[in-house]
Amino acid sequence: MMRSPAPGSFRFVWGIPLLLAVLTVFGLLAALLGTGIWHGLSWLAMLVPVLVGLRYSLWPRPRPQGGRRTAGENSDA
Amino acid sequence: MHKCSSLACAIFLLMTCITGLPLIFSQEIAHWLDDGPTYAAMPQDTPRLSLDSFVSEARKRYPGQIITSVFSDVDEPKVIVAMACLGNGAKIDPRTRHWLKFDARTGELLQQSKPAVQRQKEQPLVGRLMDIMFRLHSDLYARLPGQLFLGLMAFLFVVAIVSGLLLYNPYMKKLDFGTVRAHRSKRLKWLDLHNLLGAVTLAWALVVGATGVCNELAGPLFRVWMATDVQAALVPWHDAAVPVQAQMSSVQGAYDVVRAALPGTVVESMTFPNSQFGSPYHYLLWTKGDSPLTSRLFNAALVDARTGKLSALLNMPWYLRVLQLSRPLHFGDYGGLPLKIIWAVLDLLTIIVLGSGLYLWFVRRRQIKERLEKLVAAHGDRLLSKASS
Repeated sequence: MMRSPAPGSFRFVWGIPLLLAVLTVFGLLAALLGTGIWHGLSWLAMLVPVLVGLRYSLWPRPRPQGGRRTAGENSDA
Repeated sequence: MHKCSSLACAIFLLMTCITGLPLIFSQEIAHWLDDGPTYAAMPQDTPRLSLDSFVSEARKRYPGQIITSVFSDVDEPKVIVAMACLGNGAKIDPRTRHWLKFDARTGELLQQSKPAVQRQKEQPLVGRLMDIMFRLHSDLYARLPGQLFLGLMAFLFVVAIVSGLLLYNPYMKKLDFGTVRAHRSKRLKWLDLHNLLGAVTLAWALVVGATGVCNELAGPLFRVWMATDVQAALVPWHDAAVPVQAQMSSVQGAYDVVRAALPGTVVESMTFPNSQFGSPYHYLLWTKGDSPLTSRLFNAALVDARTGKLSALLNMPWYLRVLQLSRPLHFGDYGGLPLKIIWAVLDLLTIIVLGSGLYLWFVRRRQIKERLEKLVAAHGDRLLSKASS
């Protein structure tokens, strides 16, 4: 993936969620359709979203610099 | 839409997520509760005895009873023969059901169960709890209506996920993935966690939700198929006399004739002729494929219990096959213990998503109410001051 897609762009919003979804689906199917090495690959692939989720909820990424109000704060209706 | 669909199903989904957690490990728990003796150490390719020898041994031990089914395990060297007494109207008395477990290679009787009625009374606490979890998770103790209701809840869950996706875009337009604004307000923190964990569990939750719908539909549809297509295949036998156990043909022979007709499959179990399920004239044999994928696909065959000849291969309709394939994807039991642990963590994360969603809705409602009250109070003051001047 490229370094930093522009905020607001499709890749900025959906890049990581889509990557995690693809890894999950790959992991789900690899263990179902294969045996042996495919089980190992499945565990590795599915571990990624789990670890990403734990990483950011336990050690949150600090808020970006500057007091600019962000989308979440004005449009959370 | 996200609000309506998720509120409608949130409480029941929280319940299914919590009851589902121990069910992920039901195999391990059953194994742990199993106090039967272990198998004798023998080479892997030791041949198995003929199934007829277990059947006649079981009949010798309980001459007054009938055999209801025979299960020949593919993964373990065991054969289980299930028996029961006939009660009123020559129907099986469910309270008397019990089983005998044999070593498939030596023929040794390894373990015997007590009759069902006694087994239920003496069930260990953990087993009883697991049963409660299972019923709450699958049908809320309400059988068909419960299954359909929970199926609908799972469908609403899928709708909630998809509608949540549409909301994700405006929220996350300017926020880096994984931002959790922990120090501004409690509500913002939980909103960010809801979005983060929702995005992380997205694909898994969609798959488990959709296959949950499938599973709730599979049971009822299967029973419809048994009552229609299978009964239609039995029409030619309707005038025949129902065979008694002494007249029945070889069990091993029935296994062999089905295996020969369906190469690439293993025969795992057979139900004896039975007036309440399957056919009163036939052995009903259940087969599954021998590759990882096809081992999830079951098929059934009918063997005439008098002549031992193959009567019909019951090919399930396509929708039942699709529903069968969705079972493992719901249970997560197909990739060893590590996959089950990942399944459990994803389940816990989903519980947090559901809980934070409920919290956000609750806080939001309170905020709106407070704002309205402030507005009314301010207006009221102005009106009062106008009146007094």
